Amino acid sequence: MIDFTLSKAQQAARDYAHQVALEEMRPLSLECDRTEEIPESFFWNMQRRYWGGAAAQARAYGQDEGVKQENLLSVISQEEMAWGDAALATAIPGPGLAAPPILSQGTPEQQARFLSIYMDGQLHWGALALTEPGIGSDVAGMSTTAVLDGDEWVINGHKHYITNGARADLIVTFATIDKRLGREGIRPFVVPKGTPGLIVGRIEKKMGLRASQTAELIFENCRIPKENLLAGRGEKKEGFKAAMGTLDATRPMVGALAVGIARAAYEAACEWLREELPAGYPPHKRRAWEEELKELGQEIEMARFLVWRAAWMADRRIPNSKEASMSKAYAGALVMKATATAVRITAPGEESERKLLIQKWFRDAKVFDIFEGTAQIQRLVIARRLFPNIDIP
Amino acid sequence: MLDFAPTEEQEEIRKLAQSIALDHLRPHARKAEAEHDSPNELRLTLAQTGLTTPFPEEYGGSGPLEAVTYTLIAEELAYGDPGLALNIVGSLMGPLTVWLAGSREQQERYLPTFGDSTSGYLQRGSLAFAERTGGYTLADIHLQARRTSDGYLLNGTKRDVVHGQRADLRVVLARLSEHESESPEGKLCAFVLSGAQEGLSIQAEEEKLGLQAAPSATYLFNQAQLPAEALLGEAGSSGVVRAATLYQILRAAIACGTARAAFEYCSAYARERIAFGRPIVSYQGIAFIIAEMAMKLDAARLLTWRAACSWDRGEADETLIHEAESAQRQAVKMAQAATTDAIQVMGGAGFMQDHPAEMWMRDAAAME
Ligand SMILES: Cc1cc2nc3c(=O)[nH]c(=O)nc-3n(C[C@H](O)[C@H](O)[C@H](O)COP(=O)(O)OP(=O)(O)OC[C@H]3O[C@@H](n4cnc5c(N)ncnc54)[C@H](O)[C@@H]3O)c2cc1C
Repeated sequence: MIDFTLSKAQQAARDYAHQVALEEMRPLSLECDRTEEIPESFFWNMQRRYWGGAAAQARAYGQDEGVKQENLLSVISQEEMAWGDAALATAIPGPGLAAPPILSQGTPEQQARFLSIYMDGQLHWGALALTEPGIGSDVAGMSTTAVLDGDEWVINGHKHYITNGARADLIVTFATIDKRLGREGIRPFVVPKGTPGLIVGRIEKKMGLRASQTAELIFENCRIPKENLLAGRGEKKEGFKAAMGTLDATRPMVGALAVGIARAAYEAACEWLREELPAGYPPHKRRAWEEELKELGQEIEMARFLVWRAAWMADRRIPNSKEASMSKAYAGALVMKATATAVRITAPGEESERKLLIQKWFRDAKVFDIFEGTAQIQRLVIARRLFPNIDIP
Repeated sequence: MLDFAPTEEQEEIRKLAQSIALDHLRPHARKAEAEHDSPNELRLTLAQTGLTTPFPEEYGGSGPLEAVTYTLIAEELAYGDPGLALNIVGSLMGPLTVWLAGSREQQERYLPTFGDSTSGYLQRGSLAFAERTGGYTLADIHLQARRTSDGYLLNGTKRDVVHGQRADLRVVLARLSEHESESPEGKLCAFVLSGAQEGLSIQAEEEKLGLQAAPSATYLFNQAQLPAEALLGEAGSSGVVRAATLYQILRAAIACGTARAAFEYCSAYARERIAFGRPIVSYQGIAFIIAEMAMKLDAARLLTWRAACSWDRGEADETLIHEAESAQRQAVKMAQAATTDAIQVMGGAGFMQDHPAEMWMRDAAAME
């Protein structure tokens, strides 16, 4: 039955994440953005509150309610985290983007071996390395290679723009085992931190998400055990396609982050109109802004519903790549609109912390139309699903 | 708990509405547009399915209405034809407002004729909402009602009243100020107008941009004196708000159906149409327009469903108003963009009356 009310578990996940965002993220936000550093204490606080607290609570409730809802619970919390600070949200300890390919492509033995390191209560991160200087959207053209030599895979190549690349304990790295096979030759490998031949290059300076670490990784005869190839499970070893499919699952999460920033900017602009409006501000202009913000609020709700629907489908194992792309594309464009509107509305008047945050969110926003598939790539995915029999190059 | 799937029963009703839309609405759309009305056979067919009598069985209805279910139905009808969908929904809003806002006595007086199994389908209701000074939001309702010794005195205007001229049951939304001193805003309320009302001039709206299949009229009230029993229920009651927001939600659903018709129609065209040796949809310039259309349609539909869910759960008036008006605003805006883009996708053909796209673009524009 169609229902837009949050269950107990869903509401609890939202409240908990909001509290964490308010107490652990907002107070650090501007400083971390300025220094491009995150204090160690933040990681420990998140480890304690997020993994020990929210995740356990969600698991307990999720079981109580008798339905699979990990995707929904996750997008609900992600929105709140990004409302706190999206850059900090990407740095929360845990396997992060490395988890989906390990879970979907790893054998039970591999899952146990790789994911257990995140269970010891210490600080660990994961990363996913797909993008190279020569390729981004067109992953099939990647040039990083993996060659089997005895009991080891030897990886050579160059990856960049890798989130948490320098601090990750495990980096799921995509490489080709045979360039002639094109995308069919691409496989995911798990490369542990500290492997000889894995070199951390530059850390990027960015427009926004500055506290999020974006690293260059160089692989020079980097040797990993044969068993670190994620070769797919069971009868069907689908390799590349299945591995890419797991990225579909993360698009609603990125959409949720975008919704969180959009909402933060929207709320701040509304508060500015209420509390910081300079004396002598023309009333007709204020009314015009209020109208614009009203529409923006409606669009934020629509973006959230698209995200929720895509996550809900994922929980029910309903194929959702079209809907996942819709949620990401819609939210990615909206967050830009929301933050730009907030910058415009709050341009007059005095400097304030609120305005600095709005400007930060504006700088953070643009990337949501770029990573995890650009705006154009999302539209391609949607169009290809709408017209399965037509070749849309 | 969040859930995005209709129930099995709702899915069956939706399919029924869709088959009627495709068999009976879509093929008659141009004729209905030219004749400015729905044919009686269509109304009979709909009445036989029970889709147009969603009020309690005791009045001959098919069972009380659920907003979510009716949102699904309204989208399907508009997918058949927006003008006919509004014709049907506009008529329905008359008896529905009596059911939602009226006293038991008023329900017994007005509803059974609509539920009558042999002649009910010939009855037309109407609900006057928008005015010459505004759009379809409650804040724009200013039709002024003042209490007099033996009734109410009405002054103001109404526009776009579907079936306003021929209706058997005319309901109007107004603002009631009990005392001279009270704020001019007044309480939201609904009145039933009798056949020949002194002080009321009804003018048919002949030259319309779109939605011609839904005949409409303008009302001009000039010191119109209504009897006391004309007031439905009580002024300022939730029943009136529920009727008004239901209309907004159903109008949002009609906008979604309009957009879906345009989306599917131009998609089929873009799949077949060849330019420079390839189907035009294989060009990103076209494919992305259509992808965007699909995405924004889903977004607006979810917003509409949310408002309908809240209506069914009986949320507070302010919540209902906020959600219904959001849904209506976004859905209408989305439908205008989708129908306009559908013509763009089709090129010159989209501009021609051989195809329905130009009619849908006018229909969506006429929803303001
Ligand atoms: C802050 C940040 C963090 C990131 N984190 C990670 C990470 O953790 N791991 C990782 O692997 N990558 C990461 N990325 C990389 C990101 O996924 C890529 O930047 C993105 O996929 C786009 O690739 P590109 O930058 O090479 O652009 P390109 O692929 O070169 O695209 C350039 C332009 O061409 C357009 N374009 C490309 N192909 C088509 C087509 N077929 N049709 C129409 N238009 C097209 C694109 O939409 C874009 O507008 C990150 C990027 C940023 C900015």
